[in-house]
Amino acid sequence: MTDSDSLSERPFQISIPDSSIELLQKKLALATFPDELELESDEKRRMYGAPLGDIKRLVERWKTGFDWRKAEKKLNEDLSPMFVRGIEVEGFGVMDVHYVHRKSEREVDAKGRKAVPLLFVHGWPGSVIEVRKILPLLTNPEKEDELSFHVVAPSLPGFGFSEAPRKKGFNLTQYAEVFNKLMLSLGYNEYVTQGGDWGFYITRRMAQLYGHKHVKAWHTNYPGPGAIEPAFGAQPLHYLRHMVTPYTTREKTALERSKWFTTQGMGYNIQQSTQPQTLGYSLSDSPVGLLAWVYEKLVNWTDGYKWNDDEVLEWVSVYWFSRPGPAASLRIYYEVTQANQRVVPFREKPTIPMGWSRFPMELRSFPRTWTQNVGDLVFDSEHPSGGHFAAHEEAERLVDDLQKMFSTVL
Amino acid sequence: MSSVGTPFRIAVPDSQLDLLQKKLSLATFPDELENSGWRYGAPLADVERLVARWREGYDWKAEEAKLNEELPQFTRDIEVSGGHGKMNIHYVYKRSEVENAIPLLFVHGWPGSFIEVRKILPLLIQAFPDGKFPSFHVVAFSLPGYGFSEAPTKPGFIVEHYAEIGNKLMLALGYNEYVTQGGDWGAIITRKIAQIYGGKNSKAWHTNVALAAPPTLTSQPLLYLRQLFRPFTAAEKAAFERTLWFQKEGMGYFLEQSTQPQTVGYSLADSPVGLLAWIYEKLVTWTDSYPWEDDEVLTWVSIYYFSRAGPTAAARTYYEVFHSPDAFGSPSALKSKPTIPMGVSVFPKELVFTPKSWISASGNLVYVNEHTSGGHFAAHEKPELLVGDLRKMLGRKGPVYGIVPGKNGYVPRTRSRRDKRKGGAKL
Repeated sequence: MTDSDSLSERPFQISIPDSSIELLQKKLALATFPDELELESDEKRRMYGAPLGDIKRLVERWKTGFDWRKAEKKLNEDLSPMFVRGIEVEGFGVMDVHYVHRKSEREVDAKGRKAVPLLFVHGWPGSVIEVRKILPLLTNPEKEDELSFHVVAPSLPGFGFSEAPRKKGFNLTQYAEVFNKLMLSLGYNEYVTQGGDWGFYITRRMAQLYGHKHVKAWHTNYPGPGAIEPAFGAQPLHYLRHMVTPYTTREKTALERSKWFTTQGMGYNIQQSTQPQTLGYSLSDSPVGLLAWVYEKLVNWTDGYKWNDDEVLEWVSVYWFSRPGPAASLRIYYEVTQANQRVVPFREKPTIPMGWSRFPMELRSFPRTWTQNVGDLVFDSEHPSGGHFAAHEEAERLVDDLQKMFSTVL
Repeated sequence: MSSVGTPFRIAVPDSQLDLLQKKLSLATFPDELENSGWRYGAPLADVERLVARWREGYDWKAEEAKLNEELPQFTRDIEVSGGHGKMNIHYVYKRSEVENAIPLLFVHGWPGSFIEVRKILPLLIQAFPDGKFPSFHVVAFSLPGYGFSEAPTKPGFIVEHYAEIGNKLMLALGYNEYVTQGGDWGAIITRKIAQIYGGKNSKAWHTNVALAAPPTLTSQPLLYLRQLFRPFTAAEKAAFERTLWFQKEGMGYFLEQSTQPQTVGYSLADSPVGLLAWIYEKLVTWTDSYPWEDDEVLTWVSIYYFSRAGPTAAARTYYEVFHSPDAFGSPSALKSKPTIPMGVSVFPKELVFTPKSWISASGNLVYVNEHTSGGHFAAHEKPELLVGDLRKMLGRKGPVYGIVPGKNGYVPRTRSRRDKRKGGAKL
């Protein structure tokens, strides 16, 4: 499938074939909806899943008003320049990886600092779309004395416009390997990372494997369940500190949110972690099913973000039209679960500087004392608004934090 | 005189069949990892083959006709408390030739349906003039939201409502006293029937899914202590492995349906391929190497696809129960042991293994039989074994012979010296 030429960088533009768009329209024309219980409010309807009124409205828009070609054109502009190159992954052969690579407008800023190479890693149900808003802010900051970045934002293998692995066992180690090789192939021997959702897990693995040598510092908005409560036997001082440090009000609200997520919001996670293929048939065959599966998260996981219908359809279309198809994106849950990589014992935590931006509607939150088990936390900031998709919901705040953190740390 | 209900025949309109064909002709399949087998879910080759058969070769109209022939069906309105109002309930109902046959209510689960009574029905109603085995009058309703029953329209439809329908149906058919058989949701529902209507209406209950909590030092000290010192047998260990597998690998559907049934419901309603995969995975992994035929699978799935309420409604059972006091694992779920006699058939490939010693503490256990083959869909996989257990439990030599007054399951015969025992043949 790929030859020696494939190892070199090829420019890339999203260009979905007409036949794909036609097939989507044919399926939408046959869309069949379930009923819905009689409930008094959207809030109550959302407790059972994505509300019927929303899905019907979105499907109607997808059929009639949503213009994929227009969206595609804008994406190509906003995410330019994009490329694809083949990257050899041990045990998996050469895989095509798609990425945005935009260099900073200024090689050196007013303070004499060089632009910092930054790898941005998305998650699920995100995509490279998540770099769209922060991209210009990172590469061309408003003020001349603000730190700027060279940004590399790939599609995860199995997502967007990257190839999917064909064999079993492609876990965090492989994602880390791919992205480190990508950065090196672009001439960035030293770089920093930003990631949330799977981006957190992948960049944590990168920090473990390539920290100091290549990855100099890492930033996240989602320190995952890798943050574990300190236990007395394992970390006596930490435990005692944790016991006497009272939770702030914000921490309490955040723990409520975590409770909601772990008791009401984990269905997709367990399904994808155990029987991704079974679910994959639905998501591959039904654009309505895929829309609902993703839309539910776009709403539940954000902080009252005012999604525009076309914005939602764009996010979902990237999955529907993705190179490997939407089923492939689910397998990361399975592989990481099987490899038991979700929780990293604190003794194996990365030792490079770590930054954490807290957004109140993130899915899980942990008291500071717990997060110190995840990495060498040197920067942490708290924001009054924002949820799981920080780069999309709170672009300016996130970029601000990155500029601050990497200014002090590097 | 009570009425049997309004006769019903399954008659899926051509428009629905056409729509299904149109969707199947546009079927889009995912990729699959090399050599992944069943590890990631239902295998691609199986699903593609089943879809191809569903498109061409599988004859729903012929299957529908067979179902209508084998299973006499009816509907009737039943009033349900809790504000759920009048619901139109679909059921299979067949009487034995034996007038005094034991009235039996069969309750299915997910992803089953009334079809699960198909194989046991002829065995249950069979008449034995020589009095070899007891006979049964059989009632098997479609749970609300499944098959051809109406679905609940309001939230809060929980176990006691399913139980209410089962009981009211039997009463409406003229069976003031009856026994029950149930697995999956049927086990939970018939347990509730036993709790609420036990003694008065339900006289005995039989299940193939023992619901029991592990003994604790405070709940059952002797059993708990005994267990600490008695090692489990090889068969028990294998069964525990099965339980571990189910809890570790098999709970995705459960958690999604318990928390976001509407979300997964869009897929199940819009994609017959998605629905097929979702159900087929369970049909294979929950059974004991049952040799499913493609058409058999397609009929099970078609019942969901063509169901009156659509396939999403069935998923809501999980949500409603999960958010009720009867949620699995909740302290109240297993309390209030039913006092009426209980029979249990243990099949090795059931999803959650319960050792015999725990079962005996979970109800008024009068009959238990452990089998060496069979899985979750006992009535479908092992109809003779299941019916065999019912016959042994309720038959002449059984522990609860004659438990339904006037309906001991046998053709009346002249009294003899042999019939003097308790509950013996009544003329």
